[in-house]
Amino acid sequence: MPLFMLNLFFAAVFTLLLGSTSISVFLVGFVLGYGVLWVSSPLYPDTRYFTKLPKTLNLTVFFLKELAISSLRVSWDVITPRHINRPGIIGVPLTARTNLEIFLVANLVSLTPGTLSVDLSEDKKTLFVHVMFLEDIDKTRADIKNGLERRILEVMR
Amino acid sequence: MIEYLSGIVLVLGSLFCLVAALGVIRMPDTLTRMHAVTKAGSLGAGLVVLAHALFHQHPGIFLRAVSIIALLLLTAPVAAHIIARASYRSNIPLSERTWVDELNKK
Amino acid sequence: MLTNDVFLAGAIQTAMALLLISMVLVLWRLSKGPTAADRVISMDLLSVLVVAFLVTLSFHTRQTSYLDVAIAYACIAFLGTIALARFIHRASRNKGFPPPGHAASKNITASESEPDLSEGESHD
Repeated sequence: MPLFMLNLFFAAVFTLLLGSTSISVFLVGFVLGYGVLWVSSPLYPDTRYFTKLPKTLNLTVFFLKELAISSLRVSWDVITPRHINRPGIIGVPLTARTNLEIFLVANLVSLTPGTLSVDLSEDKKTLFVHVMFLEDIDKTRADIKNGLERRILEVMR
Repeated sequence: MIEYLSGIVLVLGSLFCLVAALGVIRMPDTLTRMHAVTKAGSLGAGLVVLAHALFHQHPGIFLRAVSIIALLLLTAPVAAHIIARASYRSNIPLSERTWVDELNKK
Repeated sequence: MLTNDVFLAGAIQTAMALLLISMVLVLWRLSKGPTAADRVISMDLLSVLVVAFLVTLSFHTRQTSYLDVAIAYACIAFLGTIALARFIHRASRNKGFPPPGHAASKNITASESEPDLSEGESHD
């Protein structure tokens, strides 16, 4: 995380040195600073910044894609006169342990395809999810575990 | 050119908002209505804010836009989860199409 | 010939009209909503629509301060939604809502017997 701050600082200095206030110059500065830090990475032996940042970006892109797909699917069911939804509530066993991980999983589940987190069991081991287009219980459960939760845990751990 | 892009994104976003409102009216029960509100609503408002940021490309506006989008994407699922839990526990009727309820079994 | 500015102005007006129509639809659900939870989600969607409308208004009038209003409104609306949801939760726990008389209510009878409604979530 200190490296991330350093990277932001590089980008800000780059932007100010060029005397501009535009966002694109800042982004170019960020990418250049990342390159500089990456070249000097033997200096920081115990940091995981260089593996975490691509994974965070991967999670963000995956999440935005899923948000778009899910909105289109829900919209289709809203607009067409005949309902195609087959709702159901299923329990998903959680691998996430800490509160922050469970919070992220529950929130991202709420924002991805046709799923909405309803409740958490008392031992914090099962998340109950309301699914709007439930065809195959085991497949949906595996999708949530392998698609979303695995990516979140990769970023967090 | 940027006017066309920004205008199209703006209309697209407000169409998603309209879909969310239609969903609140047309969906059969509370939990499915909540699907429409969380997803279509936050995506629609996010697109509207994105259109604004795309057109003005000014750091002040960009930062405000980013904070509005972050706020929407952070609060929408939290609010949805809390409402869903509260309404499920106050025994709202589920629609007849609901065919699995594993929360009920335990 | 459609110039850029005319296109953008038309897009802004279309967006405003669509958002206003959505608000009217949501108000209908707000007044009708069979349960309290339906009313709360209508309020939630209404606040999102107001935020979107404020942003569009800021686009239309070129006034940045509407964006600040939108940020503040989003925060306050979130607090309001949470408070109302807690209210539903508390009301159902203390008094117990009468069982709903719909046909589908057979799905949800066992959760009544949960003795303690613990709150173990991280964001409570």
